[in-house]
Amino acid sequence: MPQFLSNKRLIILLVSIIILVALIGFSIREREKLTWPEQFIKDTTGWVQSAFSRPTNYVAGFFENVRDLQNTYEENKELKARLDELVQLEVDVQTLAKENKELREILDNKEDLSAFDPVQAIVVGRNPERWHELLVINKGKQDGIQQNMAVITANGLIGKVKSTSQFTSTIQLLSANDPTNRISAKIIGETETYGTIEGYDEERKLLKLKRLPYDAKIEKDQIVTTSGLGGVFPQNLPVGKVVEVVPDEFGLNQTAYVEPGADFYDIRHVMVVTVKTQAPDLSDITSEEEEEL
Amino acid sequence: MKKLLLPIFVLFFFILESLFVELFSPQLFNSDRIIVPHFLLVVLLFLTVYGGKKQGILYAAIFGLLFDIVYTEVIGIYFFLYPLIAYFVSKTMQLIHNHLVVVSLTSMVGIILLELGVYELNYLLKVTEMAFQTFLQERLYPTLILNLVFTILVSFPLKRQFDKYAEELRNE
Repeated sequence: MPQFLSNKRLIILLVSIIILVALIGFSIREREKLTWPEQFIKDTTGWVQSAFSRPTNYVAGFFENVRDLQNTYEENKELKARLDELVQLEVDVQTLAKENKELREILDNKEDLSAFDPVQAIVVGRNPERWHELLVINKGKQDGIQQNMAVITANGLIGKVKSTSQFTSTIQLLSANDPTNRISAKIIGETETYGTIEGYDEERKLLKLKRLPYDAKIEKDQIVTTSGLGGVFPQNLPVGKVVEVVPDEFGLNQTAYVEPGADFYDIRHVMVVTVKTQAPDLSDITSEEEEEL
Repeated sequence: MKKLLLPIFVLFFFILESLFVELFSPQLFNSDRIIVPHFLLVVLLFLTVYGGKKQGILYAAIFGLLFDIVYTEVIGIYFFLYPLIAYFVSKTMQLIHNHLVVVSLTSMVGIILLELGVYELNYLLKVTEMAFQTFLQERLYPTLILNLVFTILVSFPLKRQFDKYAEELRNE
């Protein structure tokens, strides 16, 4: 029987374990940005990936269209019924938008937490190993995407930008089990209740909205949106609906289980939300203070 | 197979894995089980056995590093495990006859080793809190079934291609 580990082999194994630990330690910490070799590799593979994923998306899209054709009749009926409501809604929205604008002018408040510019992007890759829920999209720094920006689909928030390279970026989905992935959110009821989205229940496929006040009255099916208080995400991006509320382990807070509106699996097109309003410059604040003095 | 075509051939399987999870969501199979394609590892192991040990381990290291950088953003895990498994498989193949069925089954063992290794490392790094029992039932068994089907489909063409490749290497 040949020897599995000779002396030389053993040394190679030990050295590679040391390198392994060093590399993991280097890459797992919170990083501001990727090193340039990583960015280069990501851009190159991103280009190859989009060359592959575009045609496959067309083919998959075709089959989806065929499947959609089967229930066109019923869908059409339902949509027609909704159309009547839509006219009323449109009128309401217009009057409200106008009123909002006028009130803002009265208040002289130009900053709006809910204003944002969406950047359209196509998903070109997804992490196949499923431990880290990551997506690769075909827009990067050159398109104005920065770390920690919110990423949405038509149905709601799906995650945030984890890292960027010049032409591609990586998105971390909300379903990833990452304790640093916290998003300030609110539940819209008669009064607004604020909390943070922390973690994901893998078995029930629900998001956990923690740190809600213990006396807040939260009901099922209330809508959860981002609150804009974190300063990174804009306000009022839809997240999902409340399914269940439980008191947390010490009874000081409540935790709500939220069913995400967006599907975390079948994602083709996403929008990266770039916030219009920035945090005020430090120079502005200091100069104002000086004026007061 | 032409020598220069080999990197492109392996790269194709590298991208196929990501395309697979993009297109075939778990709902499509009507279950919440996690099915992970390990097509790249299967191809690398076949390359190690039929195309040449050195080539196999080298490609395993390069594509492991690529996998880490592009897909997981934690560098080191696949960079370390891919070549290690390729090495063990090549050593095992010296002990037993490298019949196609035996090689296919050995690559299944390779996939089990990889899944276990990645699970343990991720558990240590607190990327996952999945219990071992759930890991086995929800992830390992379905993954094995998928990859077994894939291996059965591609084993014969792969062997033929890599045999040709090995012959080309010898002729040089």
